[in-house]
This record gives sequence, structure tokens and C-alpha cells, in this order.
Amino acid sequence: MEIKGSVAVITGGGNGIGEAVAKYFAQNGAKVVIVDMAQKNIDRVVKEIQGMGGEVIGVQANVTSEADTAKFIKAAIEAFGQINIAVSCAGIIRDGTMLSLDKETGKVNRKMGLDKWQPVIDTNLTGTFLTVRDAAEAMVNGGWPGLLVTISSVNKVGQVGQLNYSSAKVADALLPKIVVGEFLMRGIRNVRCVGIAPGYTATPMLTGMNQDALKAILADVHLGRLVDPNEIARLIGHCVENEAINATTLEITGGLCYPGGIAK
Amino acid sequence: MTRFTYNDMEFSVEEAQGRWSITYRNAEGKSGVVGAGLFAAVPADEIEARARALIKAVFPVGVRCVGPDVAHPLMIGDLKIVPPDVTHPNFIYWDKDSSSFPKQL
Repeated sequence: MEIKGSVAVITGGGNGIGEAVAKYFAQNGAKVVIVDMAQKNIDRVVKEIQGMGGEVIGVQANVTSEADTAKFIKAAIEAFGQINIAVSCAGIIRDGTMLSLDKETGKVNRKMGLDKWQPVIDTNLTGTFLTVRDAAEAMVNGGWPGLLVTISSVNKVGQVGQLNYSSAKVADALLPKIVVGEFLMRGIRNVRCVGIAPGYTATPMLTGMNQDALKAILADVHLGRLVDPNEIARLIGHCVENEAINATTLEITGGLCYPGGIAK
Repeated sequence: MTRFTYNDMEFSVEEAQGRWSITYRNAEGKSGVVGAGLFAAVPADEIEARARALIKAVFPVGVRCVGPDVAHPLMIGDLKIVPPDVTHPNFIYWDKDSSSFPKQL
């Protein structure tokens, strides 16, 4: 499948990895739908893509809502007539351990509440499911060639302090295998699904963190720097063009290792 | 440039170099962009209809129900609890614009 002339829907397209993916597709001739919660982010990215000479719409939407998902899928088809690529970049973190102990008594004094668990599962997993489901429905019913992309994380292997996030991201990594298996079972041949599992990436969240903490993180990255969002965008672009990549999740980490040198 | 009002929002559809941009200003005065670089090959007399159709898709008019959401009960043992649930909002689409009706103040 060629990027040029395709229609790409990017959730979380208003910043970070989603913004880089949206701009990459626009630069390469795709028509782009930016989905984000923040209208000011949508406005900025739409104007920047307009400046590149791209074709773009922005839709303010909450990916955890079925109604909002239906809205941006419908808007994409209304604007551009089809959908070929859907990248589910919308994600959040609410870090914390499941239990916290009182230092004096050794008893549990705090536990992770649903206020930290549910939004992370809803956005990172249910949101991805809804985007993938409704984009796939449109691609199948429209007969358009398509690629569905989930954004997992290298922390799918398990990260302390991220029980909620890691649980969602391991599911996002598994999703392409099951979805494509079901496509095969149902005779759906025009739609592929892949997952991308980035390592530590130069998004505002990480580049703005304490520089000593950042240096400690980079000590375990063979590449010696954060992954650039544009490098992730290029990998997704390659997945669009290389039809043999399917039903799998690809890691792009710069060689992230556990302390001591065993690659994650 | 074409201007029209839909659902108490003012929309502008502007042409530049054969492509069209759609911007809006809502009742609170906040502005935003719907899209840019659009409708390159669309005849000029169809632009407004295409823009209106896109705007209706991006800003559907409807009534949001925030509960009780009986389709997503919280389960405690065998007890189903159906409180107002904004995480799974139902959304009922109307087939008419609110601007089609007299404004009630």
C-alpha cells in the first residue's frame, strides 16, 4: 500500500508520537485526520500541516467513547471518502504501585484506586479497541486496503509502578495477532494490523523531566539517546508500504536493556 | 468566502490556491479549525454542501445521557449497580439541527 493518496486517522494526533506520525503521513502525500482531546493542539497541528500543503481535518474526540469514535470515523469518510490507515496513539499514564506501606507500621496505607486504574485501561486499551474496531469496520465495508496500528510500549514486558499501563500495553501488543487471525477466519484479506512498541521517546513528557533521571534512563539505552518520534513515524510508514509486516508487534527502542545489559 | 451558522457556531469556508479551509467560532467566542487543504477537485457550487456535511459529522447535534447506564453495570458479587456513568456515555443523535428549532431562552 502506498502512503501517497491514502487517508490516515491518527488518534492522539495533537502532540507527541501522534503528531509526528500525522506530519510524516502528510509530508508523504496522505490525507490526515487529527483526533485529539485538546482543540488547541488540533488547531496547531492542522495549521502546521496546512503550511506543508497537506490535506487535513481535526476532530475533538474522546477515544474511550463509542459515540466519539463513530464521529471521527464518519468525519474522515465525509472529508476524504475512505480510510486506509488508523494509528491509535492516544494514551495516558497514571503511575503508582498497587500497594504502598506505612514506613513505621509496615501495613498498607494506600492502594491503587480505580481513579488511577480505569482511565489508563479505558484510554490505552478500550480506546485502541474502539479505534481499531470502527476503522476496520469502515475498511471492510468500504472494500478499501487498510492498515490498523496499535501503539504498545516496551514496558509491555512489565514495569513496576505501571501495573495499569503495562497491562494495557501488553494487550495492545497482542491485539494485532488476534485481529488478523480473526480476519483470516472471516475471509477479510484487505486489512492488516500491526503493533508498534516504542522505548523511551523524546516526547515533551520525557524531555521535560529531571535531567539526572533522564541521564539514568539513557544509561540503559544502547543508542545513547531517546528515540525520536519521527523515527517511530518512519517505522509506521514502512509498515504501510511493506505488506509482509502483519499480525505482529515491532519494538523500536534504540536497544533498551535491563541494568546489566540484557535487552528488554 | 462563505459564512454560515450551525448549532450556534459560526463557520467560515475560505479558498486559497484551489483548496478550502474551514474555521469556526463558537457561542463563547472560542475559535478553532475544522480542516485545511480540502476539496481540491470539488466544483465551487458544491463546496458549501460538502463543508456543511463535514461539519455535521464533526459536530453532531444530540443529547448526551449520563446515566444510569444499564448496559455497563458495576458488579459487586451478584449485585448490579447502575449509577450515572460518564465513562460510557450513551449518545442519542437527532436528525435535526438545534438551529432548526426556535431558540428557547
